Amino acid sequence: MFNKFGSTSETLSKASAVVHRIGTDAHLYDDPEDVNISPLLDSKFESEKCEALKRLLALIAQGFDVSNFFPQVVKNVASQSSEVKKLVYLYLLQYAEKRPNEALLSINYFQKDLGDPNPLVRAWALRTMAGIRLHVIAPIALAAVGKCARDPAVYVRKCAANALPKLHDLRLEEHASAIEELVGILLNDHSPGVVGAAAAAFTSICPNNFKLIGKNYKKLCQILPDVEEWGQILLIGTLLRYVVARHGLVRESLMLSLHGMDSNGFCEKDGLVRDLKLDKEEDGGKSDSFDVNLVSLVSKCYIEGPDEYLSRSSCPDTVSSAFDSKETTSIAHNEDVKILLQCTSPLLWSNNSAVVLAAAGVQWIMAPLEDVKKIVKPLLFLLRSSSASKYVVLCNILVFAKAIPSLFAPHFENFFICSSDAYQVKAYKLEMLSLIATTSSISSILREFEDYVKDPDRRFAADTVAAIGLCAKRLPTIPTTCLDGLLALVRQESFAGDFESVDGEAGVLVQAVMSIQTIIERDSLRHEKVLIQLFRSLDSIKVAAARATIIWMVGVYCSLGHIIPRMLTTITKYLAWSFKSEASETKLQILNTSAKVLNSAEADDFQMLKRVVIYVFELGECDFSYDVRDRTRFLKKLLSSKLACHELAEDSVASQENIVTHVVEHVFGRKLKPFSPLALHNRFYLPGSLSQIVLHAAPGYEPLPKPCSFVFEEQDQLSDLDRQREAVADLDGSRESSETVDEDGSSDYDSESSIGSDFSSDADERTVSNDANDPAAPLIQISETSVSADQEELRSKRALDLWLDDQPSTSNQTPSALNSNQSSYAKISIGDIGSRVKPKSYSLLDPGNGSGLKVGYTFLSEVSTVSPLHVCVEVLFENSSAEPILEVNLEDEESMKVADSSEQTLVGKANASYNNVPTLIPMEEISCLEPHQSAKRLIQVRFHHHLLPMRLTLHYNGKEVPVKLRPDLGYLVKPFSMSIEEFLATESRLPGMFEYSRRCTFDDHVKDSRMENGKDKFLSICECITLKVLSNSNLHLVSVDLPVANSLEDATGLRLRFSSKILSSEIPLLITITVEGKCTEVLNLTVKINCEETVFGLNLLNRIANFMVEPSSSAT
Amino acid sequence: MLQCIFLISDSGEVMLEKQLTGHRVDRSICAWFWDQSISQGDSFKLLPVIASPTHYLFQIVRDGITLLACSQVEMPPLMAIEFLCRVADVLSDYLGGLNEDLVKDNFIIVYELLDEMIDNGFPLTTEPSILREMIAPPNLVSKMLSVVTGNASNVSDTLPSGAGSCVPWRPTDPKYSSNEVYVDLVEEMDAIVNRDGELVKCEIYGEVQMNSQLSGFPDLTLSFANPSILEDMRFHPCVRFRPWESHQVLSFVPPDGEFKLMSYRVKKLKNTPVYVKPQITSDSGTCRISVLVGIRSDPGKTIESITLSFQLPYCVSSADLSSNHGTVTILSNKTCTWTIGRIPKDKTPCLSGTLVLETGLERLHVFPTFKIGFKIMGIALSGLRIEKLDLQTIPPRLYKGFRAQTRAGEFDVRL
Repeated sequence: MFNKFGSTSETLSKASAVVHRIGTDAHLYDDPEDVNISPLLDSKFESEKCEALKRLLALIAQGFDVSNFFPQVVKNVASQSSEVKKLVYLYLLQYAEKRPNEALLSINYFQKDLGDPNPLVRAWALRTMAGIRLHVIAPIALAAVGKCARDPAVYVRKCAANALPKLHDLRLEEHASAIEELVGILLNDHSPGVVGAAAAAFTSICPNNFKLIGKNYKKLCQILPDVEEWGQILLIGTLLRYVVARHGLVRESLMLSLHGMDSNGFCEKDGLVRDLKLDKEEDGGKSDSFDVNLVSLVSKCYIEGPDEYLSRSSCPDTVSSAFDSKETTSIAHNEDVKILLQCTSPLLWSNNSAVVLAAAGVQWIMAPLEDVKKIVKPLLFLLRSSSASKYVVLCNILVFAKAIPSLFAPHFENFFICSSDAYQVKAYKLEMLSLIATTSSISSILREFEDYVKDPDRRFAADTVAAIGLCAKRLPTIPTTCLDGLLALVRQESFAGDFESVDGEAGVLVQAVMSIQTIIERDSLRHEKVLIQLFRSLDSIKVAAARATIIWMVGVYCSLGHIIPRMLTTITKYLAWSFKSEASETKLQILNTSAKVLNSAEADDFQMLKRVVIYVFELGECDFSYDVRDRTRFLKKLLSSKLACHELAEDSVASQENIVTHVVEHVFGRKLKPFSPLALHNRFYLPGSLSQIVLHAAPGYEPLPKPCSFVFEEQDQLSDLDRQREAVADLDGSRESSETVDEDGSSDYDSESSIGSDFSSDADERTVSNDANDPAAPLIQISETSVSADQEELRSKRALDLWLDDQPSTSNQTPSALNSNQSSYAKISIGDIGSRVKPKSYSLLDPGNGSGLKVGYTFLSEVSTVSPLHVCVEVLFENSSAEPILEVNLEDEESMKVADSSEQTLVGKANASYNNVPTLIPMEEISCLEPHQSAKRLIQVRFHHHLLPMRLTLHYNGKEVPVKLRPDLGYLVKPFSMSIEEFLATESRLPGMFEYSRRCTFDDHVKDSRMENGKDKFLSICECITLKVLSNSNLHLVSVDLPVANSLEDATGLRLRFSSKILSSEIPLLITITVEGKCTEVLNLTVKINCEETVFGLNLLNRIANFMVEPSSSAT
Repeated sequence: MLQCIFLISDSGEVMLEKQLTGHRVDRSICAWFWDQSISQGDSFKLLPVIASPTHYLFQIVRDGITLLACSQVEMPPLMAIEFLCRVADVLSDYLGGLNEDLVKDNFIIVYELLDEMIDNGFPLTTEPSILREMIAPPNLVSKMLSVVTGNASNVSDTLPSGAGSCVPWRPTDPKYSSNEVYVDLVEEMDAIVNRDGELVKCEIYGEVQMNSQLSGFPDLTLSFANPSILEDMRFHPCVRFRPWESHQVLSFVPPDGEFKLMSYRVKKLKNTPVYVKPQITSDSGTCRISVLVGIRSDPGKTIESITLSFQLPYCVSSADLSSNHGTVTILSNKTCTWTIGRIPKDKTPCLSGTLVLETGLERLHVFPTFKIGFKIMGIALSGLRIEKLDLQTIPPRLYKGFRAQTRAGEFDVRL
């Protein structure tokens, strides 16, 4: 069925290459349907599913519609294999819009994947879900984006930013504000990668919502150099638009140069222009100041939309200064403009040409005149990139050069043409050269042109000839040289023109004649001789268009000077003679010229000419072409009076024919209108835009906003709601900043290793009232924390996020959290508890087994200096025998590598990259341990799995004893200091399957409170719990919430929050302990863990519940 | 933003389409495109931005494969073009080249790469080293594995650690047993010699290419002995701007593996290493041509693989060319290539022969341009010298290597 896709020659070549194709997907592409795809899709083997999907993709690639497989494909979305998943997503995106009902089936899986601990899976699910474009699921997708916009992984947030335009594209009016709000949040992200994507979303969703930019303007400018290149391109444009809308154009800039010169108010401005002129004089030796009209037109074009343009085009000559001085700003006084220029100027060095062009655009529009120069070199360097970008860059440079030719004049060598340039590039370079030629550079440029004329590409040669004409027109000093050259060319070409097989030759010749015409037009009297030469060459020139042009020139210049009028009879005779054999184009010109000649003829030749003209007209009336016949009749009628009279006598003309004479004068009146280049391309678009390349406003093209159209509301005018949002965003941000530091991979973990001496985090202190700064701070500081109540509200506002919870999230709704009576909490900070923390010790070797050597170990809360995966363990050796023990040492069991397979498989993938890290940093050997002496040694261990013991070998007295070091889950985490706000934010991001809780009892405080009666009961409970937790695990105490409204006896509602990070994966892990029950009785605790790493979290939860119940070691 | 990307073979077949947004682009646009490029010839094929009746098309052509991207709305055209170039680079890097067979054989990888590189028409991950971690390039092992087991996934199921960090071009913690860093100065000489034999333009376009295999998070500084000769430069995103602005030192955290650190240009060179002296006389329908090639200024290293190629003008009907050194080939499209290799000590290589013009032409009035190729190992003709390469923290067993080479870039000698 699809055989037509392999042509025979292809098949042959493929046969030879078959060896190279083994193992590729070649056979799938060649014959996608050589097996039945459906059963493969239903297969239980991933590999077969994979193959089926690949076949489907091959069919899609070849343009077939395979949407009939949709239902079967959709159910594979649940696959665990990442490759199958990816392929299914690719398929879904292709067809979801076509099969909306079946596509809905996949939504559940996306929701599940969105909660996956693997950020890549979350990102894929989000991308696909937002991409399937169904209105029904838009609210769900929007909620998912909102959730992912706060995801801890940068990649996911980036995908969330990319998903926003997809949703916006569905045109959901009711969600528009939510989408814009999300754009704002993402723009405020601390990660440059996210900001770049957010800038792209901003451009396509709400390019004029400058409020979002205004809030972060300075930050965006600062982050700009770090943003990814693609984001930079759009962000630069956004910032530029913002600054124009906010502050208007810059007075010193090129855009307002006209304005500055017109009004006397800006004296400094005049100085600047003069400077620029001086520069030019140095550079080019010619004070060719920029074309003021053109520049103001350019700046007008940048600002005005299509409507204004159309209305203006009716009266195109009025180029008034449209800008009010109120709408402008000065670089000297405006900080925003200054920052923008500063942060974009290094981007002129970017590797990405689009970034360079965008940055150059900003400088072009905003920079003071004298600084515009600095865009020249980077732009020219872009010409050494790929031919495609060369073309686009040249298009833009051309506009710049049209406005200020002197800018590029010294760099004319860059526009010399190399043989490998594409035709379009060559054409633009020629235009450029003819634009920027100055008297000093013209000689070298002309020498180049001479070379180009001999190029085998005749179309290019013709363009060169045209360019010569343009140069000669611009620079009045050179026409003579040019004309000589052109005439020589005409002569030469007229010989080559014999050779008719090539069209290009004719083009060169025609262009040469046209260029001569352009030059002569300026000062025709001086070039009479040239005209004569040209007329003489009529005989040898065979190309119709060239002949037509020359014949036209005969008509136009027939009364010029002294010699030409005398030649007229001969020329007209010749034309009449050749009339029959001419092309119709030329015939028309002969007719016109005859009429003109007759009209201006002098008395001597009149009779002669009249006869010739009558002859020509007779020929014309019988021509094959009706155009020629029509023209002849028209002219004959028009000139009937002249043709009728025998003598040239003005008096004889009857009065009633005066009108005809007038018409004749009008038709043949030789007033050539000066040709203005402005009229041709009087539409300019913003530099770097698509519209500038295609020369019409592409859909979605927006000019710069109206200067000062955006009035920035100051921060204090923001509505409360906004401020609240900002608070959330800030909160997100600060958490992010700490995360990115970690992601840098700097092994600077030591900073976290402060050991429990001060548990009150900075954030706690912030929420506490002023007296917190008092050095003699009390142990408990109680303050009404309305902040926390707000956050509860915020959190419930985000209840929408919880839509993906499959299981009812009872755990999150601890009674106190939702009980409105208890919305008021006090926060306390507990100091000075570190000294009382006593880590638990375990036994490694029993003295009975070890012939008197007793070995115990204790986990330390210090963070290892070797790698983040190592745990510090203090080992205590004690000699309980009567004899000294020699050479005590602990070593890694060598047989570790061949350890049982269960251990091998359990080595998590996350650890894979750390596999070359040693599992044990050995301790110092104890050479001799005297009886009853004990020694402490520090070892650092990396556990392969958080539950499996580590096998070590204990050496002593030359013996080897295998021992097992059991990991303590509580020490496989490290303290992660965060503020309560961060804690809540992180917690709200980890709902559903990432949250698990367990209940247990606690009675330590009962003994404790009996011991210390004088103490506040709540405090002692808090201390007990904290002590217990910290003695058994390595956590950071974030906050302690006390229920204020409750009776003194009831401890219900007391809540402790701990935070940590898992050592191996750096994933944050949050623990919340909520207390229920009376102070004096056994308490019921609910321990809740929020963590992305489910298995670890559950194990740790069990561990915590276990040790909470255990009798306290310190108490015993 | 971009709506669709097509890969079109050199015979006009659409090999692959990747829709990027909900606004699907029908592949009939490719038919329109191909019709146009057939009817309008090469100049259309080389036009990077085309306004078709329904879409704006961006195209680049790489090794016969046309990458065509469509958009209906305003977007920076250079962004589209740069992105397509990046796609082409990545594909040819992954597939070991770019041609019809390679694309078709690995179409799954192409799909996966495109999906990762662009999301909703906006570039997502384009850093090659990160892409490599996400999608494994096809290699012999994976091919054999897929033959044996019938299954080998090339999609990684973990997110590369660098993808989200603030140095997105670098995997977080690569490990190498021996730390190596190589710096190559690769220069290309662009020169134009006009028909009078005058050197009109002679400049060097150079790139600093690096191959860094360093563990951890190295911070490098590279300084030049004579940075003042650099006229223009562009940097890899990893280079910090401020140190360069203040004292012209490149300070950066390198990506892993090979990358281009910066490109630069040195202008107004006085001399080319080789000279080419063409002579042509034409009379009564035949031309005698002779071209001499020799060493003008000895760079101190051997000049290798010298080639000279030119397009015979269309009006030449037959050519008989021979040389006293090297080989001369004339292809059917009238491209003539003279492969010289090294210049012998004892003689000056000379190409001579006659060109017969088509009947009716007396003399040759258009002249070809010779494109010169050469390569010199071990020298940077611009004179740029690397002063030193420092690492902030010196890892054990560090090896630094420096190399230089110059080859001809756009070296035109007009006859």
